[in-house]
Amino acid sequence: MGGFAWAMMGLAIWHFAIFIPDRFWGGIVGAFVGAVIGAFVAGALINGFTIPGESDTHLATALEAIPGAIIGIALMYAEGVRRGNEPLHL
Amino acid sequence: MTDRRRNFFILVLVGVLLAGSIGVVATKKTRQGLDLKGGVELVYQAKPTKFSQVTGDAIQRTLDIMRDRVDQLGVAEPELQRSGSDQIVVQLPDVKNQARAIAQVGTTAQMFFYDWEPNVLGEGCKPNPTDPATTGGASAGNAGSATLSYYAAVTRAAKCPAKPHQQTSQDAPVYYLVDDKAQRVLRGPEATEADLFSESATKSPAKGQAVRVVQPGVVVVEAEYDKNKPKDLNTAQFYVLNDNFALRGTDITDPQQNFDNGTGGSGNPIVQFNFTDKGRKTWQDVTRKIVQRGQSQQLPGQDPRSAFQHFAVVLDNALISVPYIDFQQNPDGIDGRNGSQIEGGFTITSAQNLANLLKSGALPIKLELISASQVSATLGQEALHQGLKAGIVGFAVVCLFLLFFYRVLGLIAVGALLVYGIYFFALIKLIPITLTLPGIAGLILTIGVAADANIVIFERVKEEIRAGRSVSAGIAQGYKKGIAAIIDANVVTFMTAFILFILATAGVKGFAFTLGIGTLASLFTAVLATQAVLGTMGRSRMISHPTALGAGEKKRSWTFDFMGSSRWFFSLSGLILLVGALAIGGKGLNFGIDFKSGTRVRVALTKPADEAGIRGVMSAGGHADAKIQRINNDKSLGANAFQISTPTLKPDQVSKITQALTSRYGLARPPDTTSIGPTFGNTVAKSAVLAIIASLLVISAYIALRFEWKYAVPVLIALMHDILITAGVYSLTGREVTTSTVAALLTILGYSLYDTIIVFDRVRENVPRMPRAAFTQIVNRSMSEVLTRSIATSFCTLLPVAALLVFGGETLRDFAFALLIGVLSGAYSSIFIASPVLTHWKEREHVFMVRRRRIAEQSNGVVPAYATAAGGAATEVTPKQARRAARRITEPELPGQQVSASEFQELVRDLHGDAPVAVADPEDSARDLTPDEVVMADDRPKRQKSKRPRNKRHGRSR
Repeated sequence: MGGFAWAMMGLAIWHFAIFIPDRFWGGIVGAFVGAVIGAFVAGALINGFTIPGESDTHLATALEAIPGAIIGIALMYAEGVRRGNEPLHL
Repeated sequence: MTDRRRNFFILVLVGVLLAGSIGVVATKKTRQGLDLKGGVELVYQAKPTKFSQVTGDAIQRTLDIMRDRVDQLGVAEPELQRSGSDQIVVQLPDVKNQARAIAQVGTTAQMFFYDWEPNVLGEGCKPNPTDPATTGGASAGNAGSATLSYYAAVTRAAKCPAKPHQQTSQDAPVYYLVDDKAQRVLRGPEATEADLFSESATKSPAKGQAVRVVQPGVVVVEAEYDKNKPKDLNTAQFYVLNDNFALRGTDITDPQQNFDNGTGGSGNPIVQFNFTDKGRKTWQDVTRKIVQRGQSQQLPGQDPRSAFQHFAVVLDNALISVPYIDFQQNPDGIDGRNGSQIEGGFTITSAQNLANLLKSGALPIKLELISASQVSATLGQEALHQGLKAGIVGFAVVCLFLLFFYRVLGLIAVGALLVYGIYFFALIKLIPITLTLPGIAGLILTIGVAADANIVIFERVKEEIRAGRSVSAGIAQGYKKGIAAIIDANVVTFMTAFILFILATAGVKGFAFTLGIGTLASLFTAVLATQAVLGTMGRSRMISHPTALGAGEKKRSWTFDFMGSSRWFFSLSGLILLVGALAIGGKGLNFGIDFKSGTRVRVALTKPADEAGIRGVMSAGGHADAKIQRINNDKSLGANAFQISTPTLKPDQVSKITQALTSRYGLARPPDTTSIGPTFGNTVAKSAVLAIIASLLVISAYIALRFEWKYAVPVLIALMHDILITAGVYSLTGREVTTSTVAALLTILGYSLYDTIIVFDRVRENVPRMPRAAFTQIVNRSMSEVLTRSIATSFCTLLPVAALLVFGGETLRDFAFALLIGVLSGAYSSIFIASPVLTHWKEREHVFMVRRRRIAEQSNGVVPAYATAAGGAATEVTPKQARRAARRITEPELPGQQVSASEFQELVRDLHGDAPVAVADPEDSARDLTPDEVVMADDRPKRQKSKRPRNKRHGRSR
């Protein structure tokens, strides 16, 4: 259940990446991958590489995914800039 | 074949099939599932025994034996089927006594005969045939001073060494989990240590618990007990036996229940049987040995009865009978030619049951009951009534919508829906499909799916007519252009239904099957049949005017900047998901017993009751942890209905609860009970996850094949969005997640794609038509063209779903709620998630970036929402299509290939030279593609026509 909450939070955070000019490595889909993987990795890191079960999942479990999702998006953006992606404003 | 002749044939086919279907509907009986007609459903998990592994053949033999046993129960139309690799589902309609059905159908019935005295193990695992404190003496086999508690027996047996070199009933160790402090056996016997923990969260013994291993050659058997009382292993008494059997159940023949009416007989029920040739000889040898031992132990002057020796009949590790053998009457043992009999304090029913078990033979494999449910017939019929009511209302509102929105076209669609309904019902009876409540939900949903196909085509027809085509040309063109999107959408729905059918549990299979069959049938009626009708009526006065088809002047044109506003819709979705994620974290999901295991009893009481009173009854029965809820929203159960949820209970424990409730409050009708073990719950959860992953993979592969792989990724993201939003709503509302919810979720996967495919299909169509437009402009244009259609299809599907929600019973409401959220979320995500993601991704492609840059330069740095030419006209062209060369200049237009008014205007603009002219270096990779380049060019080499003039005489000239 913890993994479910992380993935959901990662997806939620990714939706707000649309406000950033698209210079992500892999475009908006790259940002999506970064957010979801980042959320999952951060969640797992904070929980000592275990995924909290149904009874161990709390409100904080979902919040733990936020920094990971943001870092994931930022990494994809930085990689996009490094690769010379032009900003895309829609 | 001409169109006219083709239409005629299709209409004749429709008529013939309709007549046949009506015949089938009138004459054939509908096969109803257990949830509609009441009965017992048992799910067993197969486990290996010494004599057989769990193979396909063993399961088939088990099914055959179980069928025999069910026949002996006298059940009409039972269904026994294999589920997955190691499960068996038994459905017994109209059976009211669940406990008897379980005892009769799933008992392994491994029977063994033991020479008693030399095989009873006492202290230190040593036999002591002459010690009554070990063997039980005259009361051998009964509970008494020689017997042990379950815990003590297991502990003693675990200390015995293995004795593999004898005739053992088990050739591998068996495992028990014990609580040393409470001196109780918690679980066992199991074939592996891991099996002991299959139903617990931990995989090792908790504090105070230990695993005991009983080696082959030693067996713990339960002492004889009163078969009229419920069995409780931890209060029963046990013996430890040296597992060296003399005879097996396979050595006996012709077992039957009889009465002990012989000389000096008690008149009690007994089980009589004969022996096989081998069994007869063994029987004589064993009894002779027993007799000789008795004779040798007789002391002069002592009552010979005190020296009588025994043999034991053990069925599934429980002593059935331990009779003595009178050495005075049988000095040379018992001749097996006249058969033998078992006396064991039987009632007539228990003797009949044992005889039946022996008659059908032992099951080759061990069966563990992992789920048991019972539905009362009354409740089933009420559920059927509610389902049919929801179906009729759903059908009626869809028909009204179609008539209001599409007028004459709507009338034809309603006719097609009626024909579809009759075909579908006939198919259900003909195949036959067992109609279950989830199946009814699938049926109702396909009404929406069938109507959607019509909406997609009719909107296209209206579009063509509004663009200036004649009515008949508009119909032809509408069908031609709409069919690809419909087939794509229906194939995806069908594939999802197929995956669901393969992977889901029995209850959901009915839903998947009806959804799949319905999707196929609807393709025939909604596309082929309506096209034939319209094609035949094409020139009739009834549909000669566009307004008759609802295709008059277009009142509203969507000019909304969908892509420009997508960030706000993204934000809205993000917020919903954020709340959903917090809810999932904070509240979690309320998984039903399908996933978590447990027992649920739904009772309708005759006397007024409250939660406290019910809790009192439950506590008295030792179930103080039961969760009790009053059922308020189900009129069929009455005002005093309650749902009681407990950890998984055995059938006899459930019987005790219902008996206690009956004596205190009275039951208005037989209760509905469901018991699901953790194994079954795990199977359900695994199959659900597997089905979701498989559906996503198959859907992605299909979209990648039909469109291009970049279209598949936004689809996946949109689907993930739909599933997570639905999960979030379930978490927020606290609704129970059942197998029905998972089935509905998977349907959402298929259905959500319907809208996405419609949008993407139009984008795919518009890309070559707009060779100079930015991708945002292409998508904006596509969305504006199909938004009405998307709203109409979603609304049309929501109508029957709403009918299910309002009129369906509780199970159907489960489906309807998940479908409602999913369809809404699916329609939203198709437009505001999938399309913007596709747009963002495609805009990064080189060709579209160049276009975008150029358009921005021409429009003061801004890319307009909709593509316009220099003069403000739409920038689109008609893609080059392979057209049949006209055979003569004055040949009439082919239906569907006339030039529409907009295309004519475009030709005029081209002739006047107003259209923007792009001159680009053909070698420049960043240049715009030309229309010829963005459509599939027909590169096949043209066949050279014969230069020789055709011989008009049609004969070989000499």
